[in-house]
Amino acid sequence: MTTAYSPSSDLVLDEAPRRLGRAQRAGIALLVVIALFALFGPWLVGIDPARQQLERFLEAPSLAHPLGFDQLGRSMLARLAHGARLSLSLAAISVLSAAIPGTLLGLLAAWRGGWLERVLAAFADAVLALPGLLLVLLLTAFTPGGFWPLYVGISLALWVEYFRVVRAASRILLASPHVEAARLLGFGPVHIVRRHLLPELLPRLFTLMRFGFAGAVLAMSALGFVGVGLQPPTPELGVMMIELLPYYGEAPWLIGAPVLLLFLTLLGLLLLAPEREAA
Amino acid sequence: MMTNPALAVEDLAVLHGEQALVRDISFEIPARGVFTLLGESGSGKSLLAQAIMGNLPSTLRCEGRVAIGGEKTPAGDQSSRHRGWGRRLALLPQEPWLALDPTMMVRAQVAETYAVVANEPRSRARMLADRALASLGLSDAAHKYPFMLSGGMAQRVAFLATHAAGAPLMIIDEPTKGLDADRRGEVLELLRSAQAQGMSLLCITHDIWLARALGGRLAVMLEGAMIEQGEAAGVLAAPRHDYTRRLLAADPGSWPAWTAPAVAPDAHPIVQVDQVGKSYGRQALFSGIDAHIKAGEIVAVSGPSGSGKTTFGNIVLGLARPDSGSVQRAAGLALTAFQKIQQDPGAAFAPRIRLRQSLLDLVKLHRLDWGVLDALLARMRLAPALLDRLPHQVSGGELQRIALARVLLMKPALIFADEPTSRLDPVTQQDVFALLQEHLRDARCALLLVTHDADIVDRVAGRRIDLGR
Repeated sequence: MTTAYSPSSDLVLDEAPRRLGRAQRAGIALLVVIALFALFGPWLVGIDPARQQLERFLEAPSLAHPLGFDQLGRSMLARLAHGARLSLSLAAISVLSAAIPGTLLGLLAAWRGGWLERVLAAFADAVLALPGLLLVLLLTAFTPGGFWPLYVGISLALWVEYFRVVRAASRILLASPHVEAARLLGFGPVHIVRRHLLPELLPRLFTLMRFGFAGAVLAMSALGFVGVGLQPPTPELGVMMIELLPYYGEAPWLIGAPVLLLFLTLLGLLLLAPEREAA
Repeated sequence: MMTNPALAVEDLAVLHGEQALVRDISFEIPARGVFTLLGESGSGKSLLAQAIMGNLPSTLRCEGRVAIGGEKTPAGDQSSRHRGWGRRLALLPQEPWLALDPTMMVRAQVAETYAVVANEPRSRARMLADRALASLGLSDAAHKYPFMLSGGMAQRVAFLATHAAGAPLMIIDEPTKGLDADRRGEVLELLRSAQAQGMSLLCITHDIWLARALGGRLAVMLEGAMIEQGEAAGVLAAPRHDYTRRLLAADPGSWPAWTAPAVAPDAHPIVQVDQVGKSYGRQALFSGIDAHIKAGEIVAVSGPSGSGKTTFGNIVLGLARPDSGSVQRAAGLALTAFQKIQQDPGAAFAPRIRLRQSLLDLVKLHRLDWGVLDALLARMRLAPALLDRLPHQVSGGELQRIALARVLLMKPALIFADEPTSRLDPVTQQDVFALLQEHLRDARCALLLVTHDADIVDRVAGRRIDLGR
C-alpha cells in the first residue's frame, strides 16, 4: 500500500471564504437596532401609549420626551415603540406562516407528482390570479378591525410564492444524480430533504422571506392607512400615519417618526441582500 | 511577419500568494505551427492557457513575458491582451456546446462575431457566416438552435464563431473531451484544416491519440512545470521522463488485457433481463434485449450515442421501468445491492454537505463500521483530510474514488458504471479501473459498464450487450 496521496487540482481557487459585505453588515446592524427597539422599547419608555394628557397635545420634542406628544396628548415615543412591536411581529408571523406551509406543500408536490401536484399547482395559480390586496380586503370586510383576518389574508396571499419556488427547484433537484445516488444507497425522504434539498433551497427561501417581510410591513401599513386594517387607537405604524397626517404642518416630526421607522426597516431588509442573489 | 513566432512565452509563472501553481514555462509556436500541451487535470495546463489569454482569476498573479505575433507584453499585464481577443488570439473552450448561446440560431451566432468583432456590416456578416458554415458542411444547421446539434457539429459552430474575426492564433482546450471515439476524427480534421488555412494552434489535451495525430511540437506538464518538450513524434515514441512513460502507458490502447474473473457456467444470474424494450414518446430506444448477468461478470453495454445505454442500465438497477419485457433480480438481494457509479462524480454527492458528513450518514443508516470505510479509502489512496471538504473542492479523480468506496461499502452484487472515467485523465482513469477490477474480483460483484471508449471495452469486458441493432 502506498501512502502517496494524489494532489488535488483546486486547492486554492475554491477556498474563497464566505464573508459578509459591508452593505449586509450595515443591514444587520440596522435591523438589530430596530428589533431591540421593538422588543424593549415599550418597556424602556414605560408610558401607556393610550394615556391621554390633553393639555400637552402637539407638544414639541424635549429631552424627557424625545418625540413629543401627539394630537391627543399621547407620548409619541411610547406609541412608536408599541407600533413597531405590533407591525414587525405581525409581519414576522405572516411571513413564517406563509413560508412554512408553502415550503412543505411545494416539497410534497414535487415529491409525489401526479394528480396531487396538479391539484396543488392549479390551486396556487387560482390564488395567484386574485390580487393579494383584494383577498385581504375581502377578509377584513367580514370582521373589520381585527388582527386575525389581516394575518390570515396576508399569509394566504404570500404562501403561493414559496410553493412555486420550492416546487420548481425541488423537481430539478429530485431528478439530479446525487439524489438518485442517495436513493440507491437506501436513504429515505427525511435524509434527502435534509441533506440534498434544504441546503439548496434555504438561500432562495431566505431571499423570498426578506422580500415577503418587507411586503408584509408595507401591506399592513397600507391597509391601516386606507382604514381597513387595525383601527385607532391601536398604535400601528399605518394607522398612526393616517391619524397624524392632518398635523404635518404644525408637527412634522409626528408623521415623520413612523415613516422613518418603516423606511429604515425596509432599508435594512434590502441591504441584507447578498452581492450575488440566490433566487 | 513570417519571422515572428505566433506565440512566444518566456519564464511564465502563475502564483497564488507565494505558492507557484505554474512555473518556468518557456516555449515558442512558429507561424502555422502546432504546439500540444499534454498533462493530467490539475497539472496547470488550463491555468497556463488562461495566463496566455489574460483571463486569470484576480486572486492569482502572473510573471514572465508573453509575445503574440511579435508584440511582447509582460505576462502580468493581462488587459493589454484582452484587446486582441478574437482578432489576434481566440479560445475554443472545452465542451463548446455549453459555450454557445442556447437562445440564438447558429447563423446569427457566427454572424455576430463577424459583425461585432471584425466590424463587418450586418448584411455582409450574414453572407460571410453562410459561406463559413457551408465550408464546414454546416449549411443545414444555419437555422437550428445549439441544442439541436450533435457534439461534433456544435464544436464546428463554436470554432467558426471564435475564429470568424480571423485570429491567427487559437488556443484549443480539451477538444475531444466528452466526444465519442468516432467523433474524434472530425475534430482532428477540423484542426488540420485550420492549420492549412494558416492558423497556429495551441492545443491542450490529455488525449494521446490526438497529440500523436496533430504532430508538431509537444510538451508534457506535471504539477505546474513542463517536464518534457520536443517534437511530438519523438516524445511519444521515446519518452525520456518517467511520468511521460506512465502517461503513455495509461492510454487504454496500451493497457494489458484484463484477466476476466472466471465465471462458473452454472452460476445463478444476479439479474435476468428478458425481451426488454423502452421508448420515449414515439422514439423507440431499444427493444427485445436479453441479458443474464452473473456474479463477477463484466458486461459492456455498447451502442451509438442516444441509443439508450444509460436508460438500459437504469432499468437493470430498477430506477426506470421498461415498457415491455421483464427484469428479474435474484431473490434475497437487498435493494442496496444494486449500485451505480455516475459519469460526473461531482454531481453524485450532495453539493453543500461535507463528504465526511455524507459518508457518516450512510454508515449510521445501515449501522456499518466506519473502520471498513477507512480501510477502503486507504486502499484507494485517499487522504482522510479530503473528507473535510465539500465535493466541488476535491478533484474529479479523487471524488470518483470516494464514490467507488461509497458504493463498495454497500457490498453490492451489481454495479452499473455509466462512463465512470470519461471525465478523468488517463492516469487517473487507469487507476480507477485497476481499483474497480481488484474489488470486483474480491467481492464477486458484477459490473455493467457503459463507455464510449472501444479500447476500454476490449481490454476490460468479458462480453457486450449491443443496443444499436
